[in-house]
Amino acid sequence: MNYSAQEFMVSACSRLIKDNECVFIGVGIPLLAGVVASKIHAPNSVLIYEAGGIGAISRRLPWSISDNATTDNALVATELWRVLGDVQRGFVDVAVIGGAQIDKFGNLNTTAIIGPDKSYQKPQTRLPGSGGANDLASSAKRLLIIMRLENRKFVEKLDYITSPGFLAGPGCREKAGLKGGGPEAVITNKCIFRFDPLTKEMYLDELFPGVTIEEVRSDVGWDLKISSDIKIVEPPTEKEIEIMHKIDPLGVVLGRKSIQENQSFEDYYQIMKKCYESMALLI
Amino acid sequence: MSINKVTTLTEAVQGLVNDGDTIALGGILSREPVACSYELIRQHKKDLTIIVDSHDESVELLIGAGLVKKVESAYIWVGVIGSGLNFRRAVEKGIPRHVEVEDYTNLAIGMRFLAGALGVPFMPVLSMSGSDIPKYNDKIVSMKDPYKGQQVNLVPAAEPDVAFIHVQRADKMGNAQIWGMLANDVNIARAAKKVILTCEEIIPTSEIRKIPNMTQIPHYCVDAVVELPFGAHPLGVAGYYWLDTPFRKEWLKASKSQEGFDAWLEEWVFSWDTFEEYLHKLGSDRLAKLRKLERDNYRIPRIENY
Repeated sequence: MNYSAQEFMVSACSRLIKDNECVFIGVGIPLLAGVVASKIHAPNSVLIYEAGGIGAISRRLPWSISDNATTDNALVATELWRVLGDVQRGFVDVAVIGGAQIDKFGNLNTTAIIGPDKSYQKPQTRLPGSGGANDLASSAKRLLIIMRLENRKFVEKLDYITSPGFLAGPGCREKAGLKGGGPEAVITNKCIFRFDPLTKEMYLDELFPGVTIEEVRSDVGWDLKISSDIKIVEPPTEKEIEIMHKIDPLGVVLGRKSIQENQSFEDYYQIMKKCYESMALLI
Repeated sequence: MSINKVTTLTEAVQGLVNDGDTIALGGILSREPVACSYELIRQHKKDLTIIVDSHDESVELLIGAGLVKKVESAYIWVGVIGSGLNFRRAVEKGIPRHVEVEDYTNLAIGMRFLAGALGVPFMPVLSMSGSDIPKYNDKIVSMKDPYKGQQVNLVPAAEPDVAFIHVQRADKMGNAQIWGMLANDVNIARAAKKVILTCEEIIPTSEIRKIPNMTQIPHYCVDAVVELPFGAHPLGVAGYYWLDTPFRKEWLKASKSQEGFDAWLEEWVFSWDTFEEYLHKLGSDRLAKLRKLERDNYRIPRIENY
């Protein structure tokens, strides 16, 4: 069976969402992984979107955490501070977010790559900022992180900690007064990392088929520990892939191709119409 | 009970916005007041400080046009389709001018608006502890709470001079009904000193009364009401229209360079006199299709059905 790295990440992530969970969805791959989980093995999961949508069973894939689809056919349409407040209060079981840069304790940087001789106010590369990621990383009971394993993304030390993982190691979250459980897994296009319960350090736990330990090591900026019982991730099933493409026929999450192409308004209109028809089959 | 606050966008911005003001914007992707940003740019308002949670076009355009001196934000980007190139250029290179940044999280910004809405000086939040956000932002005060000794971070009330909020429907008094996600609009309207409310449709107060739970902003918060169909284009409004992605991609492409973005502004922001002309330039067929994409699937239910 042929599958892309993107499909693999969506599948691997969706399987970590359990039935009956309240799932807080971040931008990017989590948008699709949440819906896939709800259509396959977690039909009673409730998807929560940051701008205030709770429990949408929408007729199109939400493209962001705030577009119209996030309250389409929903249980609740409320406020942003309200749903993030619900995370802080402890109502949310799992949050799924992306990241730009991560360190070995699972801290994330989505604010700025400051760079040598540069400053926070005038960095080498400015990134969007926390959004709600810090709120979720601080307070969600379980935290799943999805990001591509690429050179300079997995670094020994971050320029800026936007969202807390285990900070500087064991006991630090507790000392800082953070209520959430901290990161549980980092799902990449090559493997899944987890965190040592004692040292809180990220280690390689599962490889995607065909990926070697050396390949993973070469993209990680510290001396990566490897599980003594390393597993191979089950590839996406035919059913998962079929459903992913029904939910995301435009490839907004699965492949950026169709949305990046120069496309006339008329083509866009026709494809969007098909999106509805495609999703409608799943409701 | 019949105060009429209806005006034009041009007059509202002329009368209520000053150079150097602190501005808040409603919505997030959906219902962002993009037409209001166009008008601020057209009137060459200067040295604005922007307070937002997570915003796209409504802020990116202002930054690219050089109106912004500072952002107090959680997230600025061009969601779904790409990066915030204007934001990056301004912060990294000072083009067209340097924008000072002050980072928060979405909940922290939400708490700032809540504090402003309640008329209290600050609110505590449990987020941000241990991260570098407070390290670079001295407005965030970390302390032990006086009751249980828990670590909290205090964030100051946001009290913007002017807020722009775009909603589905309102009456002439400014009672605003919102459908779909609310973002932080309910508190922004209460925190701001002045509110310019734009809406897809002005409806009679008698219609508002049929479903008062949908009124998220009461008239006493509002200073000006402007009927502005497609006022969030190219972004969407729940129950009214979907995202115009080809248009978004085009302006994003233009923003790869400052020259490209300036040329785009000339064509799409400075070339018309009224917002109706902008809509005319887009074409009625295109607008009808954006509306159809939304309404064939999702619309505000008619309350008679109940």
